Amino acid sequence: MANNLLGYILIEGTETQLRGATLITDAKGFPEDFTRTEPFRPDQLARILYGNSFGKYAKESLILESLLDAVEKQPQLWICNDSEILTPLHEKSRIKTVLLEESPHVPLDAAGHIETTADPGVFLLQVEANGAPLRAEFPDGTRSDEVEQVALILTEAAETMSILEPFTRLQRAMNFLATGAK
Amino acid sequence: MGIRDFLARTITGNIKVYTIDDFRMDKPEVMRLNSRVRTEKINPEIDIAVTRAPNFTRKIKCSAENVKISGLKVKTRNYRIKRYVKQDVKVHKFSIKKKIQTYSPLKQVQALPQERKNLLKYIKNRPKTAANEMILAWYGPIVEGAVIKLALNKQRGTLLVWYNPGSRKLKARNVYLIRRLGLGEKPEWRWV
Repeated sequence: MANNLLGYILIEGTETQLRGATLITDAKGFPEDFTRTEPFRPDQLARILYGNSFGKYAKESLILESLLDAVEKQPQLWICNDSEILTPLHEKSRIKTVLLEESPHVPLDAAGHIETTADPGVFLLQVEANGAPLRAEFPDGTRSDEVEQVALILTEAAETMSILEPFTRLQRAMNFLATGAK
Repeated sequence: MGIRDFLARTITGNIKVYTIDDFRMDKPEVMRLNSRVRTEKINPEIDIAVTRAPNFTRKIKCSAENVKISGLKVKTRNYRIKRYVKQDVKVHKFSIKKKIQTYSPLKQVQALPQERKNLLKYIKNRPKTAANEMILAWYGPIVEGAVIKLALNKQRGTLLVWYNPGSRKLKARNVYLIRRLGLGEKPEWRWV
């Protein structure tokens, strides 16, 4: 039986420091699992050897893998906000994955409504009854029935929680814990 | 030439020709005037064993096969180090950490409140209010039965929500903020 957990992942940083965190929430948005990495500071030699691809490599192969290995509860859906990790997150976790962002569009007809866009793999999802539709980007190769499944999961979850809010909490938690608390 | 020949040439124009049978003559020897010069290279292999670095500013006497050679013309083409100081060479191997240390401070994160944005601009069917009432803000969804505390963040215009971790309730509602016009009137929260 599928659980109702949603997984949020946030990887942020610059060329000199990267860090990441995951938050698994229940249907209320309450944290069921939280994992964060220590800040990863590549030295100059690593940046020279890997060149421009270092940031992408570090996100995919260092931060993302470490987080996925450490997560104790598997969500039914991973939600990210970074297109660089969308496909790797889907491939490594083998769980439904979507990139969600706010959109400036006017609300669609009703909650659960899906609208295609000019970009392949990108949809507008009206998941919340009150609010703007979300811009949803799916990994390459995602089928239309999988898009509908994700839209259904999000629409059901949006009845009891704010879908994008956990990203704000993740950011606050990372900033709070970066002061030294572990 | 005899008288007979003289008369014959003068009167008759006849010339008596003698043939010489079996005439042989050696080929002339051709000698070239240029000469070939034999050159010998003096290019001896010279081993100079030194225990210390030689002072090349000092004049060095060199000879090979009893031929004295100027020390200035001796060129060193190669050298062999017979003694050296043994050293341990440090090899630094480069690798990026494959696994990043992770932490799971779940309790600290559970203590953080959730935040709800003001959704009033999206609400089409607003509840009826009295003539002196005005809806200021609309927040949701919030699981009312699980709420421990609500707090308005006046700077951001958001509502902070703390939930009871043990609550299993899932019925979500919305809450809006009413302001009554008039002196001394206080804002009021209403669930819907």
